[in-house]
Amino acid sequence: MRNALLLAAAFGLLGAAPPPAPGPARFPAATSAYVGTTRIFAESDAGAQLAGLQIFVGGGLGRQTPSVGGVAALTAECLLRTPVNGVQLRDAIAAGGGSLQYTVDVRSTHFYLEGLAERVPALAALVAQALAAPDFSPGSVAAARALLLARGEDTQSNALATGIEMFRRSYYEGAAGLPLLGTRASLSNVAASDVADFYKANYRRGSASLSAVGHIVPELAGAEANLIAALPEGTLAPLAAKVTAIPEQPPRIVARRDVGAPIVVVGFAAADPGSADFGAMLVLESLLSNAFERNSTTSLGLRERSVGAFYFYDATPASLIFYVNGNRVDPSLAIRGLVVVAQSLAKRPLAADVLRRYKMAAEGTFLSDTVTLADRAYVLGTFGSAGFGNDPVNAALAALDRASAADVQRAAKRYLQRYIVALVLPRQAPSGT
Amino acid sequence: MSRAGAAVLAALLAAAPSAVRAAGGDVPDLGPSVSVGLLAAGGTSIVNPLGGAPVAAIELWYRAPSTGFALKPAPSLARLAAQAVAASKPLVGPGLGSLVNEVGGRLAISVFPDSIEISALVPASNAPRVVRTMTTVFFAPVLSDDGFRAAQRDVIQEAALETFNPETLLRDAVFGELFSNGPEHYPPLGGPKQIAELSENDVRAFATRAFRSQNAVLVVSGTVDPSITGSAAPGRPAEEAAREPEAHAPRQLATAPPEPVQKAFDLPAGGYGWIGPPIADEREATALDFIADYLFRPEGGVVSRELNESDPDAFVVGQFITLHDPGVVFVAYAGKRIDSVRAAVDRGLAGMHKPLAAQAFAAARLAFEYNLLHELQTPVELADNFGWYAIEGNPAYAPGAGGRGGAYFKAADSLTPEFVAATADKYLSVPPAVARLGPQNKPEATK
Repeated sequence: MRNALLLAAAFGLLGAAPPPAPGPARFPAATSAYVGTTRIFAESDAGAQLAGLQIFVGGGLGRQTPSVGGVAALTAECLLRTPVNGVQLRDAIAAGGGSLQYTVDVRSTHFYLEGLAERVPALAALVAQALAAPDFSPGSVAAARALLLARGEDTQSNALATGIEMFRRSYYEGAAGLPLLGTRASLSNVAASDVADFYKANYRRGSASLSAVGHIVPELAGAEANLIAALPEGTLAPLAAKVTAIPEQPPRIVARRDVGAPIVVVGFAAADPGSADFGAMLVLESLLSNAFERNSTTSLGLRERSVGAFYFYDATPASLIFYVNGNRVDPSLAIRGLVVVAQSLAKRPLAADVLRRYKMAAEGTFLSDTVTLADRAYVLGTFGSAGFGNDPVNAALAALDRASAADVQRAAKRYLQRYIVALVLPRQAPSGT
Repeated sequence: MSRAGAAVLAALLAAAPSAVRAAGGDVPDLGPSVSVGLLAAGGTSIVNPLGGAPVAAIELWYRAPSTGFALKPAPSLARLAAQAVAASKPLVGPGLGSLVNEVGGRLAISVFPDSIEISALVPASNAPRVVRTMTTVFFAPVLSDDGFRAAQRDVIQEAALETFNPETLLRDAVFGELFSNGPEHYPPLGGPKQIAELSENDVRAFATRAFRSQNAVLVVSGTVDPSITGSAAPGRPAEEAAREPEAHAPRQLATAPPEPVQKAFDLPAGGYGWIGPPIADEREATALDFIADYLFRPEGGVVSRELNESDPDAFVVGQFITLHDPGVVFVAYAGKRIDSVRAAVDRGLAGMHKPLAAQAFAAARLAFEYNLLHELQTPVELADNFGWYAIEGNPAYAPGAGGRGGAYFKAADSLTPEFVAATADKYLSVPPAVARLGPQNKPEATK
């Protein structure tokens, strides 16, 4: 029971002279407004020299059908390749003093436009042009497909990404569990007409939302309205991914990949943002990330860590994963320790000093992960859509600050007692593995 | 000290950057929003208040050779010393690593050939405590046996992991070729074996000499007030601290065209290096930054875009590393079709000897200015920026200083297609240092 002893030692240490709680941190207060039915959040920072605009549209993984997995990413990639004023949109934005990127998650595809503050309205007009007349020609789709295939191969050699993907495929039913960029087989199934159909069906203005951060110039409001107007009319029905009920006996999934070392991903169901358990989930994420990790003076990167945890709230319902780097620790020992911790957390409330310590660590991690304009725009839009009110990021931080020991115990009891184990092994495992 | 040693020391002191001179009262002007001051016992403080996320980056920068002060170079001595000091619990209060971890922050230590950076990102509400602890720990370093052992373990692990990073391997190889002596010749992090051979006494002696207020630049950036420097510990008075640190051995440029370096590695990769202008030559340095951005910025660079289509698995990075004197142009590339990737890099570089058309140049310069600001948007990026340019001797030239009205952006505005092409001719026409990695390395002719 080495891990249980380590855990006890860690908890014991936590009782020593905790620093005073400084109260919840605060981002600049956000505002929200509507253009038609589209909600726009803004977090202004007049001292910034750039502005960022995150555009969320409904075309996420969850809207795909399994036979055309990857169509969400193909649609977004084609939009960036759409000719505007004679050059691809991505290049036109770069030449105009900005950048444009996209991310596909379960609920949405979100485009992030950033630029010199005074130029963002003009850059947004270029994006609106592409949204109004996207290029889904076979040539554009073929070029986008080639790029996604290459990126997908990179993901396959990343053991942690593979393990997370395995858990998600097992937990989420249907399209929500599909690989973000599709697979070689599914991408080859996607025709140009599928991409056009996906766009028409899912990029509906009534289900879009925007978030703006940084130095927001007055002209941006008009540009945002034009962006929304460029999207097809209509509203999507709400999307909630169907999930598999996790059985009491933990399912185990095993895959072999070209990875350097084994990795284990343990996946749990998790509370959605906006729910009463949200703050407690952040505490649990922090606790699972830190309680088992070896002491290191400098912060450890992903590849250096023995274990870690991520709370994913890009899908409804959300999930939480705990991973073990088999290159650094014995996975079976770590998982045994995890089970002991999960049971202990469900049985008794955390001591006040322990709770304070992990809340502080959770808040620090959240803030450290939310410093770029892109990250700030993402959490602003995501929490805005999750029902955190008009000032959603500060409301989320306040929810963390309010989380009590009883909340953490309840969340541990509700979410951490059943799990799915995904094991990624190197193709040629060393003897004894 | 031998006569030769004294002569070397005198030459190096004469060439030392001016950042430390700021401690004597020569405080640079970094624009209206940035406060520059002097620390109680000497050294410079720079505070850059920002809006946005309620966090603060707190950094200490020191100018000291990565290989130590002795005539015999000890690669990784600076890195190990910084880690050991951060890992050792001070006589009073928490250790730096413990405190930063406790508040959910991040602590990093980076070492370069002639400088060391200790960097923490923490919630702004904890910034005064972290400033206090970081300066307490690093202005009067205490080294414990436990701290030394923990640091040795951690740095050995870090060095072992870096052996899998082709960019690091290529950069170290290129620098080793361009410089025949001095700290630039050696990998700043060193190898696991070299780290294991360093003694606690070596580390203590280095830390005592390098880590003191008089040799420091303290940078704080984020949602903080300029008065935060009042939280800094005074450290040792100048008369009690070790004498001014000097670089141990002369920096020497290779005199003959460098021979290609070949190393075994799982993936095929390559790198080039050229000697560039000193940091004081702002216009030429900015022109080389522009070239690196135009060709190699991720996604948008001319070469990056070409490879995105032709070799989507390829990786390419290009930068002008602004150093006191001289700077270095460094390019690294990797990809399964390595010949195709190298050809794209070579074509891109060759194209820079001809002036760009006016319209293309104007768009590229606008993109360059945006990319600079994109990389200067977080507290850590800005603190890194001020710290680096201060320690290399030209803080007013930091791109973060004065925003788009500062010296750096003025230099960028002054660029013309002809000047950029002339700068490429001047620095990139000579044979570069070449490094190649691959599973089956075969000797190749110098480029």
